[in-house]
Amino acid sequence: MNGTHRGLNRALLGVLGLVLVAAGAITILAGTNPAFARRWTTAGADVWAGVQDSLAAAKMPGADISWWSVGVLAALVIVAVLLVCWIASQGTGRSNQLASQDNDTGKTTVDTAVAAHAIKAALTDNTHVLAASVQSWNNKSWNNKSRKNTGAVANSGLKISIQTRKGASPVEVMAAVDHLVEGLDQLLGFRLPVLVRIKAGTRTLFARTERVA
Amino acid sequence: MRDEQAREARIINRLNVRETRSSRAVVSIVVAALLLVAALWLALELVLSTTLNAPVFMNPAELAQRLASLGTQALPGALVAVGVAAALLGIFLLAMAVLPGTKARQAIANNRSAVVVDNAVLAAALSRTARTAARLAPEQVTTSVSRKRIDVRVHPSSGRAVDTEHIRESVAREVTFYGLRKPLTVGVTTSTAVTS
Repeated sequence: MNGTHRGLNRALLGVLGLVLVAAGAITILAGTNPAFARRWTTAGADVWAGVQDSLAAAKMPGADISWWSVGVLAALVIVAVLLVCWIASQGTGRSNQLASQDNDTGKTTVDTAVAAHAIKAALTDNTHVLAASVQSWNNKSWNNKSRKNTGAVANSGLKISIQTRKGASPVEVMAAVDHLVEGLDQLLGFRLPVLVRIKAGTRTLFARTERVA
Repeated sequence: MRDEQAREARIINRLNVRETRSSRAVVSIVVAALLLVAALWLALELVLSTTLNAPVFMNPAELAQRLASLGTQALPGALVAVGVAAALLGIFLLAMAVLPGTKARQAIANNRSAVVVDNAVLAAALSRTARTAARLAPEQVTTSVSRKRIDVRVHPSSGRAVDTEHIRESVAREVTFYGLRKPLTVGVTTSTAVTS
């Protein structure tokens, strides 16, 4: 769980897909239809002549460089920066704080490690559970209403990942985790968004199978 | 209070959807990286040509000219091949944008948290249910969970009959007990062939 902009990913991929399909269709048409290919070349020659005219018309004083070239270079650099931002936006939004509170006496923060230690310790004796990990993520769109009552800023969510023993009942694991989440709610005084992942992993493959229901 | 509950239910729904579907992060990163290389190369060629240096591959003016006359200069077969490749790549990206990209996970109904379970975990738990119901050894039952259905395959020891309907009922009861948010149909098949 993280703050990846999934809508943005899909929108950009969709636009690029449409552009590629259109370009591919035009190229196929040029390959199969000689008249269209000739029109491509005449239109291309016209456009290129126009581009050269505008390049010559906007010369930088004292140099053989057109302002258009500088503009295109700037545009390419901006595009490159935006692409780097797109890559960097994947998987962002992790945090290591569950909540924080600001008041006259100072600032109080609750680290994710508090919940992580408590949850891991509580699950060590559970035979269904092989491993547990806890992460939290920021999400500004989930402004918790209880903030008004307690003054706590609770815009992070909690993800609890549980690796189960092979054959363990997911509902039993869920009940155990529910119990822990309840305790956490009482401890914090408000309800965080919680995501529970019950998964199989490498430890599931190698550990002893659950035999008793 | 009702408001608060509705808000929590919305959050849980959103978490469930996000956790059971692909974020398309990998495809996005690959596409962005390729575009980044292309943009940087074009910028480099532009700088090299304006400073009157030799191009790395082709200077921008030559590139533009070649593109403008590509329709008649290139072999028709090559044009078709490149066009088909570009169109297929475009269709792939469109599919990535439009298809839900469901992962092999199921959401379980829960009032407090969004609970998402791997299909492998469900399959292992249902195998256990099936073999308890049919009194078989662990190796004699294999279960696979797909997007729409649960397939339980039973390999009984030779000479022993198993009650398929009984197994199906037990597995279906167990699945109902799990409270999956998308109901799955249960199918049980018995292999009579000697496999083990």
